[in-house]
Amino acid sequence: MPIPTVAFSDERLPNGLRLIIAEDHLAPVVAVNLWYNVGSKHEQPGRTGFAHLFEHVMFQGSAHVGKAEHIAIVQAAGGTANGSTWLDRTNYYETLPSNQLELALWLEADRLATLPEALSQENLDNQREVVKNEKRWSYDNRPYGSWVEKVLAGLYPPDHPYHHSTIGSMADLDAASPEDVTAFFRLHYAPNNAVLSIVGDVDPAQARTWVERYFGPIPANPALPVALPEMSLPATLGGEIREVVPDQVPLARIIWGFRAPLFGDPRLDALDMAGQILAGGKGSRLHRRLVREERLAQDVTLFSMGLVAGASLTSGWATARPGIDLQRLEEAYWEELVRMTRELVSDDELARAKALTEADELGALMRVEEKADRLSSYATLLDDPGLINRMLPRYLAVTAEQIRDICAAVFVPDNRLVLTYVPAASGQAEEAAA
Amino acid sequence: MVIATRPSHGEPRPYHFPSFSHERLSNGVDVIAVHLPERELLTGVLFESIGAGDEHDDEAGLTVLMARAMTEGTRTHDAVALVEAGERLGASIHAEAGWDALSVGADVPAERLGPALDLVAEIMAEPIFPESEVERLREERLNDILQARADPRRRAEEGFIETIYAPGSPYRRPASGTRETVERIDAGAVRAMHARRFDPNRMTLIVGGDLTGIDVVRLAQARFGGWAPSLSCEGPRQVPARPADHPWRIRILDRPGSVQTEIRIGHVGLKRRIPDFHALSVMSAILGGLFNSRLNRVLREDRGYTYGASAGFELRRAAGPFAARAAVNTDVTVPAIRDILAELEGIGERPVTQDELHAARDFLVGVFPLRFETPSAVVGAISSIVIHGLPDDELARYRPALEAVSAEDVTAAARSHVHPDEASILLVGDASAFLADLEAAGLGAVTVEREAATGAA
Repeated sequence: MPIPTVAFSDERLPNGLRLIIAEDHLAPVVAVNLWYNVGSKHEQPGRTGFAHLFEHVMFQGSAHVGKAEHIAIVQAAGGTANGSTWLDRTNYYETLPSNQLELALWLEADRLATLPEALSQENLDNQREVVKNEKRWSYDNRPYGSWVEKVLAGLYPPDHPYHHSTIGSMADLDAASPEDVTAFFRLHYAPNNAVLSIVGDVDPAQARTWVERYFGPIPANPALPVALPEMSLPATLGGEIREVVPDQVPLARIIWGFRAPLFGDPRLDALDMAGQILAGGKGSRLHRRLVREERLAQDVTLFSMGLVAGASLTSGWATARPGIDLQRLEEAYWEELVRMTRELVSDDELARAKALTEADELGALMRVEEKADRLSSYATLLDDPGLINRMLPRYLAVTAEQIRDICAAVFVPDNRLVLTYVPAASGQAEEAAA
Repeated sequence: MVIATRPSHGEPRPYHFPSFSHERLSNGVDVIAVHLPERELLTGVLFESIGAGDEHDDEAGLTVLMARAMTEGTRTHDAVALVEAGERLGASIHAEAGWDALSVGADVPAERLGPALDLVAEIMAEPIFPESEVERLREERLNDILQARADPRRRAEEGFIETIYAPGSPYRRPASGTRETVERIDAGAVRAMHARRFDPNRMTLIVGGDLTGIDVVRLAQARFGGWAPSLSCEGPRQVPARPADHPWRIRILDRPGSVQTEIRIGHVGLKRRIPDFHALSVMSAILGGLFNSRLNRVLREDRGYTYGASAGFELRRAAGPFAARAAVNTDVTVPAIRDILAELEGIGERPVTQDELHAARDFLVGVFPLRFETPSAVVGAISSIVIHGLPDDELARYRPALEAVSAEDVTAAARSHVHPDEASILLVGDASAFLADLEAAGLGAVTVEREAATGAA
């Protein structure tokens, strides 16, 4: 099957907005995807969770859009909309019938141009409560729910911008004021800090006219880019970190964390292929050995999250079957990582991993929403939207030697964080039995 | 200058759900091909319209486990060889079962469709169900049952269905079964079920994607056409989904220390094949489907009680559950319940506004093409109409039927199908924080069950 190429245009408006357009007329749909180069790494001490809280505020109305109306307008137009916040960036996106493109552009431009005009203490208080409930739901009231916070806190030192998670702390959320929100907006939300990707059933000339009409008048912020604290880190942790975490869980779980090469570094491609070979489905090494053969684990994972400065993170886990020796489980998992550092993977194993990666990539790129997201991502984080067409060839070119070499650099004892989640103290059990 | 005026929309490009054709093989296998130009990653799914809802009480979970075990080895390939054969094709091959059907399918590049269907045929017809692998899958399911008890939202879903359905109703339990029934499953039981259910006469193959130069019927005939039709095969049981006669109206599964309460309020709902399906869809969107649904508007955007509140019907071959759902911070549990009940009452009483009606209809009509960008989504939608015995033009007439729904239709659907006076309330949370308020609220008798600590596995 030939690898399809995404043809796109890439330009900047005079105010700095980067505009990327790709036509795809197969279905009468269009994706609008706006990435802002601001994430939780930009938060000040005592203001954690702010970038994400702000993302919620972006749905609370602007000069010409009422509270909670943004999503309502998009849905009434037959579309879907959402946003997300991560360490390096925040994004907002809509997917709609293609005849509604102008509406989505107007909505995005209106909040970028006028958000503070609609901001009220009441709306901020409301979304603060919503976000606190999101934290309770996604982290605090969920088995193993603290793992992301613990992995980030372990892999990145306390003064590092990646040390805290995007959800932040309850105390910091409580401290956020409308003035903080406005200041955050004025600093980071400007056209010269954004990438706008439009993918789907569009006439590029018409789309460009609309973008110029709605986004063109919004002024750039000359204070950008924002200076961040020094983010570089040694490639490895420099010493093992271990923690035993009692939690309300019935099965123990061993969770690993490692520093890894940066997003865009070809060595991370090789590490992704290693993840596929180790834990990508039922044919993978860890699944075969720990789940199928030795039956120590209920499930296994291993994956990387690419970040742009300091170090990315690689994480994974094995959930223990009841009654097994956790040390044995940990050793067996570790042995498989170490084996990757010493022996080359076989041609057949590598070929299967590549075939699966190819199918996954081709499947993902069928959807306009995914194409728009990748274009924005590569443009925002690496200034290289063309990677959308080069990533799959890069994966297919990874060699067994490259996989061994990156595993040898990452899977070393000095670079590992090991969290062992164990069923919480028996006090609870006694109470329940009483 | 910022443009203040909201733009109007352009002319919509026409959209038609892809047309498809049927051809029945001589042994009864129905073959459906749906051509989607330029979609070169194909989806092929072979399914049998019999599922977990057709199980006897004492074998609950057997269908789902059987489906998982079907990829654990065939007469031709052992489990690992089977996985590797699929991976070499770049095909993700899966076997799974739900309430109404069991399916074996593959997503695969067009030029490798034939070899992928070879594997599909093998998995469907010739699984050997090795004892040791069935035992492993059984243990994994038992461990998953432990995990489900520890996860407040999964616990709430399971607690809710066992509250609203009568004993003996299959929907009272998870499709994957309960500890009592799963513990009894072994390879013999799985093989016996496979033997008594395998029937080409109720199987359907659907292949979607760019089928240029591909003769799906010929490929199907070569692989599935030789299977003998079954004469003595067990048919679907169509067990009625009986509601409980309310042993609990309000039930708390107590988890001391929980920072949120998972709330489920509802009752036995509807099957998929109902005459007012489209009115029901619009009503559900207004009540609890849209971002600005009545429930989300009040509980999230007005009050900040939750990250999200929703409501909806799970439509199966028999009547699936209807539930309103929210996870709220513990101290607002009782006010949140009151708000949800008020909206369940209001949907049949407070007339639907024209704005609500248009928002819901236009959303459902507009997102319809968005849902079908990929072959796997198209194939999934067609398999659903086959499973529910709906006419072939069901999807083609979806949009006109929705556009014809009126405000009166929505209110009528609400009055017919949403019954707050018959609803049970299931809560998973810290009872000590809200029990007194709940009892004082006068909603009915409250039962509190202390959850066994999840740490004591």
